[in-house]
Amino acid sequence: MSVSKNKATNLLRSSEKSSLRRFLVLYFILVVMILSLLGTFYYQSKEKLMYSNQRTLLSNYAHEQIQQLRQLHQEFPANTVYPRSSEFRSAIYDIERSKIFSTLKSKNIYFNKVFYRKNGVIRFMMYLDDYYLGAKYLFIEIDEDKEWYSSVMRDIFILGTIILIVLGIFGLFFVNLFLRPMKNSIMLLDDFIKDTTHELNTPISAILANVEMMDLEVMSEKNKKKLARINIAAKTVSHLYQDLTYLTLDHNRKSKDEWIDLKKLIEDRVEYFAILAGSKKLTFELNLNYSTIFIDGIKIARVIDNLISNAIKYNKRGGKIEITLRKDYFSIKDSGIGIEAEKVNDIFERYTRFNSSEGGFGIGLNIVKSIIEEYSLKISVSSILQEGTTIRVDFLKGTVDDG
Amino acid sequence: MDKIIVLLLLTLSLTGKEISNTHEVYKKHCIPCHEHLPYSLEKIYMLYLKTFSGELTFKASLKAFLKSPMEETSVMPDEWIENFSVKEKTILTDKELDKAINSYWELYDVRNKLR
Repeated sequence: MSVSKNKATNLLRSSEKSSLRRFLVLYFILVVMILSLLGTFYYQSKEKLMYSNQRTLLSNYAHEQIQQLRQLHQEFPANTVYPRSSEFRSAIYDIERSKIFSTLKSKNIYFNKVFYRKNGVIRFMMYLDDYYLGAKYLFIEIDEDKEWYSSVMRDIFILGTIILIVLGIFGLFFVNLFLRPMKNSIMLLDDFIKDTTHELNTPISAILANVEMMDLEVMSEKNKKKLARINIAAKTVSHLYQDLTYLTLDHNRKSKDEWIDLKKLIEDRVEYFAILAGSKKLTFELNLNYSTIFIDGIKIARVIDNLISNAIKYNKRGGKIEITLRKDYFSIKDSGIGIEAEKVNDIFERYTRFNSSEGGFGIGLNIVKSIIEEYSLKISVSSILQEGTTIRVDFLKGTVDDG
Repeated sequence: MDKIIVLLLLTLSLTGKEISNTHEVYKKHCIPCHEHLPYSLEKIYMLYLKTFSGELTFKASLKAFLKSPMEETSVMPDEWIENFSVKEKTILTDKELDKAINSYWELYDVRNKLR
């Protein structure tokens, strides 16, 4: 059961993987947006706190400066030195907003703002009740705290990263939770196929063996036709059985690679499908050169069988199937209904069929794809609606006999 | 050229006379009385400055007080009023008063002294 489960987890189709990717991207964007919003709130609250602290500090400086101005006013003109501090800079302006004295960095002064930040400095304005030295407005200025900014940004980055990781773990957990029903369905279907496959083997073998053994000489034409139909039906079921067996049992077995004579193999398989093709009055056109490939015999047979089977299944009555074999590739062309351009990429998905009018489980091309990928071969599909489909398999250098 | 030089010298001499006349009013009509009082004119200036702040407000308030001195509008302390009472109304014309006040402001302006 654990094997089945492991297998099921690998059964996610590319469309499901794409949905998963989309969900994760969407989730990530949403999380980043929420975190940005939280970061902004955090920054603003810290900024507010910093300003509140700075305002208190500047207010204290202002009261300190007023005391100094009061003293200077009393001592004037014996003492004419304007009070200065290493902690802050200051300026005094009279009631007509005319400058009396200033140690500020900039001459630009705003009389309508009590507390403000501009060009890297923070300024605080205080009104004097007694106009010492004629001063009505006192400005206190300090440089902006750059440490504060980098400290807050560091906090936001560290906290944001931790939250992002935690939410990412939650996201993966939820994705798995949502996908579990989907995985279970696929696993159930696979289990069903696996169980029924076992039950198909014996009766199909018996039917095919007995059909082969029947004496056609003593049989009437009518019965010969009936027997041919039985043969076709049994071979169709046999083909399906082999696909299902490969999918559920043989898929995980170790490959037994050997040099396979493709020309002979294709000829054998064409002969095997001859009766089936004959039922739709299809003709084979074989253009086969000699070619060998280093591959597992059962697997390459599954590839050829599935491609020929599809070419028969989706062909029109009285059509033809052209099979070409060259040293480094083979192609199978039918004269059938064709595939819509936007659906070409989906045909290799499991449980996907060209069209629902034909029978089958839609697993054939999925098997082809898995074998092609295993041997790093290249498969390409070109199709024109109502004209036919060509499937070409290119061999990798090293797998073909160059001699 | 000679005419220009003559005109320039005439202008300069008139300007010098004007300046001298401005301070003349202040020296003639303010200092004689105040130099015998315990509060110097500079101390009174600082009191006015502390009360009225800006130049225009300072000059306008001082002018108004000198033209119509009252206990209520005086910036001097109560002890001063009790000992010396409020000064008498000025006999200077508005023009002379302005000149005297301008001299007073220029003489003790803190902007020129702060360093």
